[in-house]
Amino acid sequence: MAQLKERPKPFLLPDYCKGCGRCISACAKGCITFDKEIDAATGYVPVVIDLEACNACGLCMDACPEPYGLRETPADVDFELQDPAKLFGGKKSTAPTPVDIPNQRIPLPKSEPLVIKGNYASAIGALLAGCRHVFGYPITPSTEGAELMAKLLPKLDGTFLQAVSEVATVNHMYGSGGAGYPCMTFTSSPGFSLMLEGVSYMVGAEIPGVFVNVMRGGPGLGNIAPEQSDVKLACRGLGHGNTHAITLMPSTPQEMLDLTMLAFELTFKYRNPVVILGDGYLGQMTGKVTLPDFMIKPGIPTWAVNGDAMHRGNLISSIYLSEQDLEAHNVYLNDKYRRMIEAESRCETFMADDAEILIIAANTPARASKGAVQDLRQKGIKAGLFRPITVWPFPVKQLAKELAHVKQVVVVEASNGQLEDEVRLALSNHGVTQLPAFSHVRHFGGMLPQQTEVLAHIQALLAKEAK
Amino acid sequence: MSVFYDKFNRHAEGAGLKGNSTHYCPGCGHGLAHKYLAEAIEELGIQDSTVLVSPVGCSVFAYYYFDVGNTQAAHGRAPAVALGHKLSNPEATVISYQGDGDLASIGLAETVSAAQLGAPITVIFINNAIYGMTGGQMAPTTLMGQQTATSPDGRSMFNGQPMRMAELIAGLEGPVYVDRVALFDAKNRRLAKKAIKKAVQMQVEGRGYAFVEVLAECPTHLRMEPADAEKWVKENMTPIFPLGVKKDLTVEPWWKRPAPDFEPAHMLKAVGASQEATNRHAEAFPTHINPLDISLKLAGSGGDGAQTAAMLIARAAINEGFDATHIPSYGPESRGGTSYADVHVAKDEVLNPASPHPDILIAFNAPSLAKFGPTVVKGGTIVYDSSIVKEVPAGIDPSVKVVGVPFTEIAVDLGKAVVKNIVALGALQAATQLFPKDTLLAAVRQALKDKCALIPLNEEAFAWGVKAVEALGK
Ligand SMILES: Cc1ncc(C[n+]2csc(CCOP(=O)(O)OP(=O)(O)O)c2C)c(N)n1
Ligand code: SF4
Ligand code: SF4
Ligand code: SF4
Repeated sequence: MAQLKERPKPFLLPDYCKGCGRCISACAKGCITFDKEIDAATGYVPVVIDLEACNACGLCMDACPEPYGLRETPADVDFELQDPAKLFGGKKSTAPTPVDIPNQRIPLPKSEPLVIKGNYASAIGALLAGCRHVFGYPITPSTEGAELMAKLLPKLDGTFLQAVSEVATVNHMYGSGGAGYPCMTFTSSPGFSLMLEGVSYMVGAEIPGVFVNVMRGGPGLGNIAPEQSDVKLACRGLGHGNTHAITLMPSTPQEMLDLTMLAFELTFKYRNPVVILGDGYLGQMTGKVTLPDFMIKPGIPTWAVNGDAMHRGNLISSIYLSEQDLEAHNVYLNDKYRRMIEAESRCETFMADDAEILIIAANTPARASKGAVQDLRQKGIKAGLFRPITVWPFPVKQLAKELAHVKQVVVVEASNGQLEDEVRLALSNHGVTQLPAFSHVRHFGGMLPQQTEVLAHIQALLAKEAK
Repeated sequence: MSVFYDKFNRHAEGAGLKGNSTHYCPGCGHGLAHKYLAEAIEELGIQDSTVLVSPVGCSVFAYYYFDVGNTQAAHGRAPAVALGHKLSNPEATVISYQGDGDLASIGLAETVSAAQLGAPITVIFINNAIYGMTGGQMAPTTLMGQQTATSPDGRSMFNGQPMRMAELIAGLEGPVYVDRVALFDAKNRRLAKKAIKKAVQMQVEGRGYAFVEVLAECPTHLRMEPADAEKWVKENMTPIFPLGVKKDLTVEPWWKRPAPDFEPAHMLKAVGASQEATNRHAEAFPTHINPLDISLKLAGSGGDGAQTAAMLIARAAINEGFDATHIPSYGPESRGGTSYADVHVAKDEVLNPASPHPDILIAFNAPSLAKFGPTVVKGGTIVYDSSIVKEVPAGIDPSVKVVGVPFTEIAVDLGKAVVKNIVALGALQAATQLFPKDTLLAAVRQALKDKCALIPLNEEAFAWGVKAVEALGK
């Protein structure tokens, strides 16, 4: 070790040489040549170096594409030693084991109810849930959410970025959520379909993120009026692969806030995106919104790629190249979906306990239906409402229980049967094959079923029955 | 080189030879770019703060090798993912590593917009003039005449011409440093290493977005020995993709972001939550209109203030402890056009927020009165702007109380036409006794709390609306 200053000469373990020859052309002194024989371990012909002629200029090492190909001869190791484990291997990662930095629940003083739009309520719910990173691309009827975020986040030292597209939006979320931060977006149907590529990647890579989709009339550009056009997309079509996400359907501005907060809790609990499906009416509707008595200051989860020493060893990826690994990953994801189904199926009922006619409806159509139930009860008709709050997982256990006393089911929705399909599929998967009579009140194209229509439909049903 | 894992555990579980060699073909330029990047991270001492975004393409597995935080992105989306990391975590050094198909084709929008945004991220762009991973198809950077799997007869005009990304990026305002380097000889390799380090350094110092295009060899799909591929890049690529710095601005460090704020008081202030209880004026729910739930419709054209008036009614009701909703609906025009509002005021809970058959209609123009007048329920009330509507149309149920008040004339007389909706509120109050006057006035004052100077005018407008109805004796 006398001549530490001396430049190290190149060193190569033939087993790590791919025989590309890039080092050969790099050496001006012509010290490097191909070996005579194929290396049995690699199938490549490695190079040999004439170290006598070598002046240790280092050019060959700069030219070698392999990290452990041509390297400097380690100064402190016996050059004869050919055991790679002792030469290079064995270093343990110096990254510390990450630990969970938990969320903090911060009490909020009581305040007067706000009088705000559904979109605003959802934005405020996100802020209270600790979200300070919002990405989005404007689309009616969801834009007020993004606009409020753009206004408020700078005041809270957060970030709102108007992305270049919905495709970019979801990928900003992929990065932000992957770094362990609560993030969200506001969008509407055509925007949501553009995001689905990224949603699938988020599901695969287990990244949290909240998507508020204020649904409008489709297909295509359709119109900006309310529809429930994306129920199927959220429940059955979240991009490619085996994907599912908890999908919440609020029906009041208050619920836009409450369910947005819940969405953040669930998205981290399961490391899976959560979708909130509102309709265009709900996004624009102003109502009374009471703030909760706490807000969340988020921590950082162990798995995050947070760009710090503690999380250095982490990886966010949805790649499982071997079929067995991917199957195992999907078995794991499916088990997670099953846990969501067990624990997160939510619904609300209104006068359903003894109902003989049960309306199933979500979002704003559920409110029209609630009005209709009240009308019917005043007329002495035993009507009730079953409102799924999660449409995936569908609260089928709760529904099956109600069906025991129900003679007629009426599905009221602003789509051509997307909700009804979910109801039927859920019941069928649940083993309920003896169904009461089903009928429906539907509008699509941007119109919502009206209270009077629901009322008339049910009265007609009863009149028919009476005959 | 400690920035490389000592063993590539993610590569075939680190077993056998793969534990210490890359998955790249012999002589592939990706390996060299990896080495220079690892050295840059090492030399800048930022291993513990770096996030590397791997793309789709042959370098999809860049995360096998770099002992830093790793994220793998969808095809083309790496810059958007990188921004997500950087904006959430401003202290991190975020490097997006991408091939030509990834960066110049499918992800072109993300590439250009991230560059123009100018936030300090580092993009390493491997231009090998071909798609490697999918088997040698044409890339946006494929040369004219170059044969590929999808341009078997050579790229022609029909396929467009090769895309010069470094020049394109340098032409944007956002980036601070754009360079094109190559790997085919010792001198250029040295420059490549320097450029990569500088591009990362620009970010570390918070100076801005930096982009390095690396002309790299794909011996496999060029169907050449690596040495010939080096020659090919030198002789064929550099004339089309000239090497050298395209942009190098002197920019002072500017990137600094505060930590997010979680102070409850700031939160409440930001969302406008008030801790002051509002006074109640109503003794009971106005059951004389409807026992549980009153539905109103306000209709006019944009600029009439129907939405504001609707909002004030909803706010007034909520201040009184009732429930209320307001749904606006507009035509597609940004200005003018129709503007309708459905409002409900309920004793306990608004069940259905739509007002297809309102108890009360406020109409600001003739089409609105014609359209909605006939939908008003028996025994309901219509208040309309008699300055605008000269004739009450047919079709309104005879039991409906119809009150014409010159909203516009009164407002113009007061000197501000825009207060006609407040005149309408006064008229509404006098015609229906929906709430005590103070209930509505309190809502008006609340709405104007930041523009107090306007309060007297609005109060006057309200009073004139009340007076106008009283004068009619209705
Ligand atoms: C959305 C999508 N489209 C297509 C592909 C298939 N694909 C994988 S790699 C690739 C080309 C990558 O080429 P390039 O970015 O030049 O990288 P290289 O392989 O040359 O390093 C394509 C088209 C994909 N993975 N995802
Ligand atoms: S160090 Fe220089 S002289 Fe020695 S083998 Fe490498 S390139 Fe040739
Ligand atoms: S450059 Fe490296 S991999 Fe290629 S032949 Fe030389 S030593 Fe082997
Ligand atoms: S296909 Fe080309 S780019 Fe891909 S690893 Fe092989 S040589 Fe490199």
